[in-house]
Amino acid sequence: MKTSLTLALAGLMTATALTGAAMADDIVLGASVQLTGTNANTGRYYRDAYQLTVDKINAAGGVKVGDKTYTLKLNMLDNQSDVNLSVRQYVQLVSADKVNFLLGPFASNFALSDSSVAEKYQIPMVQGGGASTQIFSRGYKYVFGTLPPADDYFASTIEMMGKLTPAPKTVALVSADDSFDVSVAKGTRKHLTDAGLKVAVDETYREGASDFSSILTQVKAANVDAILWTGHETEALNFIRQMKGLNVNPAGLSAFTVGVPTADFRKALGADANYAFGMTSWLPDASLKDRWFGDAAQFAAEYKAKFGYDPDYHAASGAADVETFVEAIEKAGTLDPAKVRDAIAGISFDSLYAKVKYGENGQIVLPQVVVQIQDGNMVPVYSTDFMTKPMYPVPAWDKR
Amino acid sequence: MKRLILPLAVLVALALAVLPMVGSDTMVQFGINALLLATLAQSWNILGGFGGYVSFGNSVFYGLGTYGTAIAMTNYNLPFGVGLVIGVILAMTGAALVGLPILRLRGPYFAIATLGLNGAMMAIFSNLPIAGSNIGLVLPLARNDAMFYELALGLLVVCTLTVLWISRSRYGMGLIAIREDEDAAGVMGVNATLWKVSALVLASIFTAVAGGIHAYWSTFVDPASAFDSTLNVRMVIMCVFGGPGTVFGPVIGSFVLSAVYEVLAAQISTAAALLFGFVIVLAVVFMPRGLADVVKGGRAISWRYFIRNIRENRL
Amino acid sequence: MVLAQILLNGILLGGLYGLMALGMALVWGVLNIVNLSHGALIMLGGYTVYYLFTLAGIDPFVALPIAMVVMFAAGFALQWGLLNLVVRSKMLNTLLITFGLDVVLTFAAQLVFTADFRTINPSYAGANFPVLGLTVPVVRLAAFCVAVALAAGVWFLLNRMPLGRAIRATAQNLTAARLYGVNPRKLYAITFGIGAALAGAAGGLYGMISNLTPYMGASLTAKSFVIAIIGGLANPFNVILGGIFVGIAESLTALYIGPTYTDVISFGLLVVVLVVRPKRAVRAA
Repeated sequence: MKTSLTLALAGLMTATALTGAAMADDIVLGASVQLTGTNANTGRYYRDAYQLTVDKINAAGGVKVGDKTYTLKLNMLDNQSDVNLSVRQYVQLVSADKVNFLLGPFASNFALSDSSVAEKYQIPMVQGGGASTQIFSRGYKYVFGTLPPADDYFASTIEMMGKLTPAPKTVALVSADDSFDVSVAKGTRKHLTDAGLKVAVDETYREGASDFSSILTQVKAANVDAILWTGHETEALNFIRQMKGLNVNPAGLSAFTVGVPTADFRKALGADANYAFGMTSWLPDASLKDRWFGDAAQFAAEYKAKFGYDPDYHAASGAADVETFVEAIEKAGTLDPAKVRDAIAGISFDSLYAKVKYGENGQIVLPQVVVQIQDGNMVPVYSTDFMTKPMYPVPAWDKR
Repeated sequence: MKRLILPLAVLVALALAVLPMVGSDTMVQFGINALLLATLAQSWNILGGFGGYVSFGNSVFYGLGTYGTAIAMTNYNLPFGVGLVIGVILAMTGAALVGLPILRLRGPYFAIATLGLNGAMMAIFSNLPIAGSNIGLVLPLARNDAMFYELALGLLVVCTLTVLWISRSRYGMGLIAIREDEDAAGVMGVNATLWKVSALVLASIFTAVAGGIHAYWSTFVDPASAFDSTLNVRMVIMCVFGGPGTVFGPVIGSFVLSAVYEVLAAQISTAAALLFGFVIVLAVVFMPRGLADVVKGGRAISWRYFIRNIRENRL
Repeated sequence: MVLAQILLNGILLGGLYGLMALGMALVWGVLNIVNLSHGALIMLGGYTVYYLFTLAGIDPFVALPIAMVVMFAAGFALQWGLLNLVVRSKMLNTLLITFGLDVVLTFAAQLVFTADFRTINPSYAGANFPVLGLTVPVVRLAAFCVAVALAAGVWFLLNRMPLGRAIRATAQNLTAARLYGVNPRKLYAITFGIGAALAGAAGGLYGMISNLTPYMGASLTAKSFVIAIIGGLANPFNVILGGIFVGIAESLTALYIGPTYTDVISFGLLVVVLVVRPKRAVRAA
């Protein structure tokens, strides 16, 4: 009895004693990211982007506050894709590790829970991983986001569809049932109605589902012109493979909120990824000038050289989060959380990601660029007008 | 040793009660989680440890408590206490409704039948507009971790006292009789169905309150976190690791495992879960009757104890 | 037409479900171990086929038997070296140890294979042909056939071969089996090995239809578990039938009630089967 109690108490002690205090000349950014577990595949973009950006800023001389120069430090924990663990880790970061500011995790449901820690302790969090409008509709003051609102993800795609010939008339909308995708589906329904398109099939599936044969059979029977699909990458992968297996061929196109911009996704699908439409809030374009990296293209090159894979909008959004803090701290001239928070709210600067400027609710507003996979490469197709000629209509599986 | 246990437990409880005044925020944070988990393991112990009925459906009561509290507080602006009561009523009703048909099943069949409850309930709540459907509810923010900590501690104490009473009462004897031989228990005049259902309902009360406290504390509720099936697995593991059917085993088991996990997660992030898995495997091999048995009687622990365990259970 | 297609989808997928559950049912029936790491074994089988295909260029259907041999060895070693140590302990403890094993395998897989998702994507992965106006995906049909063939193999082994009789004898009575001169330790290891080999085959097929991640195991364990109960532990063909039953039920639910309810229905069925016919549900092989 005694032994085990001592053991338990010893555990309690060690659990909390392991945390080092920050050095006086450091600005510590805390984050809990999915380094392992089901979301690790996307979580790594944030891990690598945070690290790369912090290193880059330090190499360029760090952060100037008044006449003092600080070094940026990153305190990153692995939440193992467990929401409850990530909340605990954010509390640990804030209360024990005494980090100065918070960077976000990946995914809307994580950002939803974790951002309430930021609000509770009144430490600003800039997160580039949660797009659900729910995160920003709670009246929180200390939470900012660099992904555009989920409701509008399909807006540019639908706008583009109106300019295609022949323009799609009927649409199947397929969505997962988690926070982000419900937001997307809700917004998309409205955009579709406004554009005068008919939703012939509207199905929601359980997050994590792997079999889409029933939905696909209904889509096939409804003979739709377009499929608009929102969910997670693994599910998109299965959906496309099963589309081919069941020979489902929408007359026009199929478009996906996630997956298409990811190199890993294209690799896993091989030639079957061709013709798929997708979207990204960021392209590694030299026209996006950046104070530290030069421009977005150089950021992408450095990122690829260091980590061995191409960055996508998740990575760029993560980099913008780090830069937001540096810009805001320098503007505020202090490390005081409340003052830095006010500085973030009023900030406006050019970055490798976009022109960073937060709305009233704390979320950035950006258009989604429609992309398509053409011969294994991701090609930007449409933003406010056509950028490249889309391959349209998409040929049937057996005619490729 | 045996006489020392109770006073020792009281001392530990008192020591834990003052922790928020001396400990750091993280410590309190860790404490709330560990205490709530211990409560879950302890309430699982009532039917699982004493009655021998392995339930994988207790996380449903946690979810009902969570949602009862969240719905009351967000949709009807009711105070936290009322929310807890509503959560408890929901969970008790659920336990009685579910328990009556399912508890007629014996042994492993019962365990299997409960497996589906959690997924089913999650799907139902994902489609309920009053529960915020699948995007969840946001509760008002309360910046008072010390209160949550003391509530969690109080709940664990009450739950453990209840289990202590069970272990010494006729009611508990009945449950143990059911565990050892249900038919014989029936012959001896134990109304098995009544005993089992009441044990499940009793467990649901503490589980639901734990859920409600967690909901208010974490300020955000969605189906995935409320009906978390791994939570139920954790209850079982912590209870079995500590010693099922004992009064303090589940509490010790969950404290130890929570601490091990926390240390691993903080120290060696990525491999933490891997090592946690190894701890469980080794624990089953070397101490199949739980921690409580290892330290029972206060005898010195020697390698012979572990070897004997392996001898007993190997093929 | 939609209904017929959906029924066909359910049947083809259900065959694979049945194969997943087959290994679990065998181990459960004979060893009385509910193997919570069964899904992790499926996952390992999937990765074995994946690497044989991508690195060695072996056709996935040829790689399948190789993966089965590898998984048999792994399963044999697990039972021999670890699970035999606790097999006489309470059922709860075997549950617990296989859960621990599941965690270890999953996270070891993540360290070795990374969290990237993989697909086994041979050139014919999306091939299909029309029959009576229905679309039949070739890989799913092949997976279905492999599942039925393996079930037949297991049936033949258990009912027509000396090793199978020894396994069945062990399942019924360990002491009596000893009198026959059967070495139960070895027999247990062989049985678990067969279970793992079946899981491996299921994993390879699953990787061709769906995708592989280190974390795919948990949901597959749950599914196998449900099917093993519905199909019973006694006859391999019944397990396949159980799989088909669940496959059809899920497809119909997705069509008529909505895809978000498939979990509710498959577990609801489980409860109904248990409450209505509990005697039939679990009997040793």
